[in-house]
Amino acid sequence: MGTRAVLHRGPKTDQIERYTPAERIAHWLTAGTYVYAMATGLGFFTPYMYWLVEIVGGGPTARFWHPIIGLGYVFTNVYLHHQWKSDLKLIPEDRVWLDKVKYYITNEDDLLPEQDRFDAGQKLFYWGMLYCAVILLVTGVVMWFPESIGRSWHWVLPLVVIIHSAAALITIGGLIIHVYMGVFMVPGSVKAMTIGYVSRGWAILHAPLWYKKVANGRTVK
Amino acid sequence: MAGGTLQIKAISGHAGPVAGANTSRDYDVCKLVDTTTCIGCKACEVACVEWNGYPFRPTSFDNTYQTMPNTEWNYWNLIRFDEHENADGTFQWLMRKDQCMHCEDPGCLKACPADGAIVQYSNGIVDFQQEHCIGCQYCVTGCPFDIPKFNQETKKVFKCTLCSDRVNAGLEPACIKSCPTGCLHFGSKDDMLALAQARATQLREHTSHRNAGVYDPEGVGGTHVIYVLHDSSNPEKYGGLPKNPRVPILVQLWKGPLKWLGGLSMMFGVMGVAIHYLRFGPKEAEMKDADIQKEDRNRGN
Amino acid sequence: MTNGWIDIKNTDMMLIMGGNPAENHPCGFKWAIEAKRNRNAKMIVIDPRFTRTAAVSDLFLQIRTGTDIALLGAFINYTLQNNRVNHEYLVNYTNASFIIKEGFKLPEDGLYSGWDADKHTYDKSTWNYESGGLTKVDAPSHPEATAHGIAAAGAPPPSLPENVAYDPTLQHPRCVYQLLKQHYSRYTPETVEKITGIPKDQIIKAADMFTSIRKDGSTKQVATIIYAVGWTQHSSGTQTIRGAAMLQLLLGNVGRAGGGVNALRGHSNIQGATDMAGIFDILPGYLKVPVPKDVDFKTYLTRITPKPAKPGEWQSFNYWSNSPRFAVSLLKSFYGSAATKENDFAFHYLPKVDKNYSWAELWDRMYAGKVQGLFAFGMNGVAIGPNSQKNIDALKRADFLVVCEIYPDETSEFWRAPGITPEEMKKINTTVYRLPGAGFAEKDGTFVNSARWLQWKYAAVPPPGEAKLDQEILARIFLKIRDLYKKEGGKFPDPILNASWSYTNPYNPSLTEVAKEINGKALEDVTDPATQTTIKAGQQLPSFAFLRDDGSTTSGNWLYCGSWTEAGAMIQRRGTEDPSGLGIYQNWGWSWPVNRRVLYNRASCDTNGKPWDASRAQVWWNESAKKWVGNDVPDFKPDSAPSDHMGPFIMNPEGVGRIFVPLGMVADGPFPEHYEVFESPAQNILHPQQPNNPVAIRLKSAADKIGTTAEGYNIVCTTYRLTEMYHYWTKNNPMNVQLQPEPFVEIPAELADELKISGGEKVKVTSARSYYIAKAMVTRRIRPMMIEGKKTYQIGIPIHWGYRGIAEDEGRTAKTLANQLSPAVIDPNAFTPEFKGFLVKLEKA
Repeated sequence: MGTRAVLHRGPKTDQIERYTPAERIAHWLTAGTYVYAMATGLGFFTPYMYWLVEIVGGGPTARFWHPIIGLGYVFTNVYLHHQWKSDLKLIPEDRVWLDKVKYYITNEDDLLPEQDRFDAGQKLFYWGMLYCAVILLVTGVVMWFPESIGRSWHWVLPLVVIIHSAAALITIGGLIIHVYMGVFMVPGSVKAMTIGYVSRGWAILHAPLWYKKVANGRTVK
Repeated sequence: MAGGTLQIKAISGHAGPVAGANTSRDYDVCKLVDTTTCIGCKACEVACVEWNGYPFRPTSFDNTYQTMPNTEWNYWNLIRFDEHENADGTFQWLMRKDQCMHCEDPGCLKACPADGAIVQYSNGIVDFQQEHCIGCQYCVTGCPFDIPKFNQETKKVFKCTLCSDRVNAGLEPACIKSCPTGCLHFGSKDDMLALAQARATQLREHTSHRNAGVYDPEGVGGTHVIYVLHDSSNPEKYGGLPKNPRVPILVQLWKGPLKWLGGLSMMFGVMGVAIHYLRFGPKEAEMKDADIQKEDRNRGN
Repeated sequence: MTNGWIDIKNTDMMLIMGGNPAENHPCGFKWAIEAKRNRNAKMIVIDPRFTRTAAVSDLFLQIRTGTDIALLGAFINYTLQNNRVNHEYLVNYTNASFIIKEGFKLPEDGLYSGWDADKHTYDKSTWNYESGGLTKVDAPSHPEATAHGIAAAGAPPPSLPENVAYDPTLQHPRCVYQLLKQHYSRYTPETVEKITGIPKDQIIKAADMFTSIRKDGSTKQVATIIYAVGWTQHSSGTQTIRGAAMLQLLLGNVGRAGGGVNALRGHSNIQGATDMAGIFDILPGYLKVPVPKDVDFKTYLTRITPKPAKPGEWQSFNYWSNSPRFAVSLLKSFYGSAATKENDFAFHYLPKVDKNYSWAELWDRMYAGKVQGLFAFGMNGVAIGPNSQKNIDALKRADFLVVCEIYPDETSEFWRAPGITPEEMKKINTTVYRLPGAGFAEKDGTFVNSARWLQWKYAAVPPPGEAKLDQEILARIFLKIRDLYKKEGGKFPDPILNASWSYTNPYNPSLTEVAKEINGKALEDVTDPATQTTIKAGQQLPSFAFLRDDGSTTSGNWLYCGSWTEAGAMIQRRGTEDPSGLGIYQNWGWSWPVNRRVLYNRASCDTNGKPWDASRAQVWWNESAKKWVGNDVPDFKPDSAPSDHMGPFIMNPEGVGRIFVPLGMVADGPFPEHYEVFESPAQNILHPQQPNNPVAIRLKSAADKIGTTAEGYNIVCTTYRLTEMYHYWTKNNPMNVQLQPEPFVEIPAELADELKISGGEKVKVTSARSYYIAKAMVTRRIRPMMIEGKKTYQIGIPIHWGYRGIAEDEGRTAKTLANQLSPAVIDPNAFTPEFKGFLVKLEKA
């Protein structure tokens, strides 16, 4: 699917379409819903971040929208998954990359095996977010309707809250890395997710196998 | 509340200091429910609904004298009726006035994330402030007595206020006022405890209730509603009064260490990437055209 | 109540039987709780069900409904066998030592002496004391006795002897004490277990606990007996209460703080209704109503004025000897200046009551087409029953019905009763007038509570819309009738035309004026010889000591004389001082008679005039002042020294309490005897050939069927009220309906299992008269009982629903009335129907 990306020969020559408009819309919907849920969730999580709740309309409003937007986040995730699932399949080669991930961290990327459209780190981030979304969904629904839990199962409620919080914290950890990488560590990524294109050089550097596929053996002027 | 006697000593979901923290009044207020002299007349139920201005609600017959299965967001005071056969063959028809226990260590307040939605006054009353309530129902999770109840329409949680409005004006709660047999008492915690202990002793010494005792559970730091029970060894038979109520351990975990752990790990996360940036900096993002062509060739394209 | 609500706090022991005060008198019940809390008083509860009262009791016994006399008999037997009596009290304050006439026979076969099987009545002449004063054990029977025993037809009715024979050693075989002992020796725990269904060890345990206050000869402690309509609503209701009174006399508990025989009245002013002659056979102040035999005033006064009847050496105050003063003052109050000495104070204006006009019999006569109309004020006659279906059918035959109510009810809409088709409705020709009454909070006036306290209340809100106060409605009707008599004359207009009606606003008399009128005033200057105080003409009288039989005073009810004096409205007082700590509150409201809180309080002292218990000193003899003084108003001749040996029961011509009731003053017999309820699941093992009360009144109309076990009616059913409801009113109030939403039937779990009925299912209860449909409440609070070796079930029905109300109008009920089931079998003294025990069948509806 992702391999639908083609070399663009329009005004922006030498650019490769990294993300289709649909993918970008899906990403930003996911990001937007996530950020709202995260901000309000953090407000509910600790009084020191309750101001986050206040800036998005106050407690009752935030509490009203949090589960609904959270549900929206899950739906956009499904949409995203629908588009990316083949590119995000974990393959045996990913293991090699992950074993050598320290080279990635130390920016010695040439010591790493070549990666396809998404590298193993991205894949892991994606699957982590997806599984956490499932957990957040299940626990969130219980927290949404606590009165549906019988008295004898009451003890489940705090457990559910803890699991929900833990899952959310994991996603926040992922997000910190994701945003850092996208904004600071890998220049051009923001452009890729906003305008949709990367340079040939970016592609060769960060997704050489993918580059090979999309370039399809042709020399580009 | 200006001019009254209430001073706040604890606030839910509150980041800063609380003006009245750690203060206590000359006396804490306390309601004593002597189940051994309760006749289940429900005057307290009616007084509660009428004082708080809630409408009458339709109920249906449910094979019991109990008005409804559980307290509701607008029905805070319910006599629980239980027919109980003791192991020794004696029979009891137990009636217990169920309402908020006004814990000294309130699980609802602990669990509540909304700043100021739950406050504890220095006289011990735990009160919900609906204008700050966000409707998350974490208080439901935190309460070991299943007391806070959610109003689906307003998305707010309600419970007995121990008539904080009346107490603030120097009056006793409405239920106390209405009790015809005097099984309800109101006063300072010390006085009520003394009264309760004396009654329990009297029951043990002068009646067949050898296990009579006072219910003032330590697990929640004691309560500002206490019971005299005929049989304090088995509070569950009184409509499921928990034997050792405590703020659920998971709630304590969640609101204590986990909250800090979460906050810290987020902080470390941000710091971690910042340090990484300073140490390693960004990755290469572009190549010279010549290199790209070389690359293309190498790839046999 | 001989005592009062607050006085219950002074008790050491409570026997609550035939009543469920926690349910029906929750506010007064606080004093029972106080006694438990402050005095470690014990509470014994005996009831067909484990009630709300039982829930806070120390001992509960489940009794088969209607067998209370048997159990009380067992208690009396236990008291005598174990010598738990207050001997000094028994000998001096009761008629235990009085000797009964030769020829008197105890009811071993179910009948006392003098039974006339044809006329179905007793010749009560042997139910009398022997004459002759102090008598030795071996003294021969008095020759007069046998002569008296055979009362010739036309002879004057038998009366009490002037000089009663007595034996203070209580050894004479015909003294009351010995007869009592003999009578109740049959009530062994074994026999009573078979009758009541209570295991005999439980009977002994309860008897021992209750009489433990007299263990080892102690006279300090006090026990009280508390009852309500669970006793009265039986065909032997009066005798059941007698049993309690006898037990209390044996123990010496009557007259004492924390003692007495205490009837809990079921409505806020039912005591006032009784005091003011809400019954056909009395005038206000319990004066007997004139009968056709009272051909003139003198005859009437002779009949109602008793002469002292006591051992010659003793004294008797005989307070009813003042009856003429009370009667004349009443007539002056009724007829004002039209009542003169010359015309016997218009005695001839009073109707002479020729037959029994009791509740159930009124309906019976309407059912028979003899009563053509009914005014129903402040009661719901159809729902009250008994045998409501018959009452509904009776109203169909009436010409008119006037109902004054605040809600449409079962009576004012009797044609909407279940089973009446629209076609039938069209054929009902009864004209119904509905008058807009005012609710209790819209009226001022007094309530008289069970403790005989008159307490003034103020209207909270004015009556809404066209609603009017009762007195305005009654006044307008009265004035209209008087106008008609004036214009058209009539058979006997005088009583109407001459009735005193001197209110400022005759169309709406103020109740303060009425209250003052009831208290009474002096028409001329009157002086009390004892105190030499004079009341001037026109002034309010301070007490009934000033009442005169010469027409110089008025009083609408001698008992209430002193309630509204020149000093003001005693009934409006709100003083909370209680110096004695006994809860007497002399300055709160006003209690009849003369603000006395405990009746017969002379009996709270021993024969020397010293309180039995100094810590509960009510009154005592002050030797230096030569006067009875105390915290309460002494119920006695104030200057009668203990050495005079005047009896403390001043309302009896004997001066003493009656363990033996002479001359059929209680129609059933001198001692209570166990009779089965009319619909009983068991035979009467004491005398199977005479199972029921022979003098109880059983109505004979086609609607008055009695069911038997042979016909399959083998479940015992009783009826009662709930604390969440008030009679048939509150089914119109959403709050009460919220607390008890629907009619139900309480069914023992074992019976429910047998019939495969589960809680909440609809069941049908059928008696020989009609049926009732409600939901099943399956409970363990009613247990199956073994009666004569047979498993017997009791079920219970709260009475509060009908065919008009919130749940009814919403279609949530079957619209049947509990009293469609109950039979019209009536106690021969108080004429109360047997609501509390009858037979039914039970099935799923």
